[in-house]
Amino acid sequence: MALVSNILTQVCISLIAVAGVYVLTGLTGMFSLGQAAFMAIGSYASGLLVVKAGLPLVPACILAVAVAVAVGYLIGYPVVRLRRDYISLVTLGFGEAIAALLNRMTSLTGGASGLTGIPRKTTLLIAFISSAAAVCLTAFFKTSKYGRQCVALKGDELAARAMGIHVTRIKMTAFLLSVGLTAYSGCLYAFYMSYVDPTGFGWKKSADWVIMVFFGGVNSLTGSVLGAFILSALPQALRSLQNYRYVIYAVLVLLIINFKPSGLLGEWELTPRNIKRTAGRLRGRKKETGGKS
Amino acid sequence: MSLQIIINGVATGAVYALIATGFALIFNVLKFSNFSHGATMMTAAFAAYFVAASKGMGLAATLAAAVIAGALIGIFGEFVGFRRITLNHSSPTYFFVSSITLGTLYEGLITIKVGSNFYNYPGFFTHSSVKLGSLVVSSSDIMMLVISITALAVLAYVIQKTRLGRALRAVSFDRDTAQLMGIDSTRIIQLTFIMSGILAGAAGVFLGIKYTLYPSLGSLVVKGFIASVIGGLGSLTGAVIGAVLLGIVETILLSLLGSGYNTIATFAIMLIFLLVRPQGIAGSNIQEKA
Amino acid sequence: MALLEVKNISKSFGGVLAIQGFSLEADAGQIHGIIGPNGAGKTTIFNVISGVYPADEGTVILDGKDITRMEQYKITRQGMGRTFQNIRLFKGLTVEENVMCAFDPQSRYMIFGGILPTPARRREEKRGRELCGQYLEAVGMKDYRYENPENLSYGMQRRIEIARALMCGPKVLLLDEPAAGLNPTEVGELTDLIRRISGEYGFGILLIEHRLELIMSISDVIHVQNFGKTIAVGTPGQVQRDPQVIEAYLGKEE
Repeated sequence: MALVSNILTQVCISLIAVAGVYVLTGLTGMFSLGQAAFMAIGSYASGLLVVKAGLPLVPACILAVAVAVAVGYLIGYPVVRLRRDYISLVTLGFGEAIAALLNRMTSLTGGASGLTGIPRKTTLLIAFISSAAAVCLTAFFKTSKYGRQCVALKGDELAARAMGIHVTRIKMTAFLLSVGLTAYSGCLYAFYMSYVDPTGFGWKKSADWVIMVFFGGVNSLTGSVLGAFILSALPQALRSLQNYRYVIYAVLVLLIINFKPSGLLGEWELTPRNIKRTAGRLRGRKKETGGKS
Repeated sequence: MSLQIIINGVATGAVYALIATGFALIFNVLKFSNFSHGATMMTAAFAAYFVAASKGMGLAATLAAAVIAGALIGIFGEFVGFRRITLNHSSPTYFFVSSITLGTLYEGLITIKVGSNFYNYPGFFTHSSVKLGSLVVSSSDIMMLVISITALAVLAYVIQKTRLGRALRAVSFDRDTAQLMGIDSTRIIQLTFIMSGILAGAAGVFLGIKYTLYPSLGSLVVKGFIASVIGGLGSLTGAVIGAVLLGIVETILLSLLGSGYNTIATFAIMLIFLLVRPQGIAGSNIQEKA
Repeated sequence: MALLEVKNISKSFGGVLAIQGFSLEADAGQIHGIIGPNGAGKTTIFNVISGVYPADEGTVILDGKDITRMEQYKITRQGMGRTFQNIRLFKGLTVEENVMCAFDPQSRYMIFGGILPTPARRREEKRGRELCGQYLEAVGMKDYRYENPENLSYGMQRRIEIARALMCGPKVLLLDEPAAGLNPTEVGELTDLIRRISGEYGFGILLIEHRLELIMSISDVIHVQNFGKTIAVGTPGQVQRDPQVIEAYLGKEE
């Protein structure tokens, strides 16, 4: 039971980060390879605020998310107005820089041996509620004017501008929302593990999240959540395959890109209307087969 | 600032230039950032280690093995990751995902093979450094500089003067029209990946000599990316200039700030650069097609 | 003062002069046609007016405001709607969502409403959808609001683009070859549609078109472009008799 709860908590924590990546990549078509660095900022900032500054948990988390968003603004400012490749390249460099910084500032962060003594506060319930809230926020964002404008500029920036869409501002909004979500997931992570070190926040983690989003269906939040759930629970459940994990992921995604580029669910979303429609179709099919037999 | 630092900087810059041009070549032709480039370097370097270096063969054999491995990985990557999406004219996001997936795949495979151990190339040189007057230059730096310059000169010749180079530029300019003009663009793309893989192989060995061999060695590709951004995305000349500049600046910062902080400083320089001159030194800022 | 005043704009790409000294004055309710062979710089005129790229020289004044060097999205918000020669609807959005995208920049709720169903958000979304229904109705596409535009015919997609441009709340509407790829019946319907919206909303319309029967029948003024230069301006009747136009279109008589 403890094992299951452990797995579920970790899955919920990464689900929050994946919701952030969905906003950035799924909706807006931008890729951040330094996304995990924002998780690191969330983890370290909240951990340090509690351990070294003695702040209570909630304000520490809020401050940590605010710090990450502020850093995100600095990184995003020069790049949102450029071709989209830049955001990937720049965030990748940013991730490396943050890792170097965390390793280097030994007196504050504990360097390579990590930051210890963070109180263990994250429970499965907190993680679950947080991830459910994150997914809801993201779903609301998707159906809002922001979400629509994100999808519009993902497909065609020029046409988006011609419709009066402030492309750089919308890109920045999506980027900052995703940074905020990821940083919050970092807070939960720190208070769950009670210990953070600089490894594990590299580009591989960011790439992992992108892969999860694509696995489930890049245009569908339901798909991304499903992808995150499957791909982050799988290796936890099959610990013996730990080493093969990345290879298995990679092969799965290559298959999807080559043969079903829209991902597992394509554009299908879990909404009342779609459920009704799908149920209707299934019933229709049953009737058909029933009639035949 | 001493001449010594500049020489070290240029030698580092030469390696970065190999990385950056390998990356820029593919960007030039397919218009996407190939994030598997780092893992390609690392894999080729490891392949060369197991095939040649660990068997006691010398530098030449190791380099040859790495270059061949790089080319093979390039062909494999093109076929598995990019062929179908190129033919389907898929959106750039798929190229992106494909490239990071390939990177994850290569790194995962090498990790299975070597774990997280560190490997070292045997010492290839009998004299580890050469004295030129009052300057001490390491033999490996001289070797890297010479080989990098030669490789870049050959590349420049191929692109500017040969039929292949012309075809490559045509495909880079407009793939469909080039195809209509009778250029087999699939073949050209394949050759581009081979060339990029060759550069990656050489760069991988150099990085392995300079540092050590480990599965996430490929993340040093960031240096090549930064050089490309400073030089101007997609411009080969820009990539070389950016790389040499980055090498020098980094060496200076390293002597001033120590390792760790210099990474942050170079990153900050890149950000400021993007604010001031986003089109890069070469000024070939490719906008998304209107 | 005219609603849209384009004064002497020029634009070159590399060494090619795509537009040389183009001028135009359009009043509310007027339809201006721009014709000319391929490569005459017609779409470039639209791109300069709507701010896709800045003019090298000259000014563009919309409703008394100089918009020449304004950013593209701001020009749209000043009251410029446009469609594209090669239909550019947004992929991954339904017909209604496509039209809503043009309303979203005007929608008055902030990021808080972006992630939570606040009253302001509900009110604005409702207002947007009503307007959306109105404009889709105007172009006769209301029944298809939940469809994916990719699944619809060319003519329908062109109508959706027009509805989307209407949603920008334009004072001036730029239509870039709206009849390209349509069959004769659809062209007829389109002609009626353009006439109707011009009368109903009373904004200035600029129209690029190759179908002479369409452009001659609805334009008040026609500008004939050839190699970046304006070779004739006038009513359809005047233009049709202009020797230079005849030469450009039919070649010189020996």
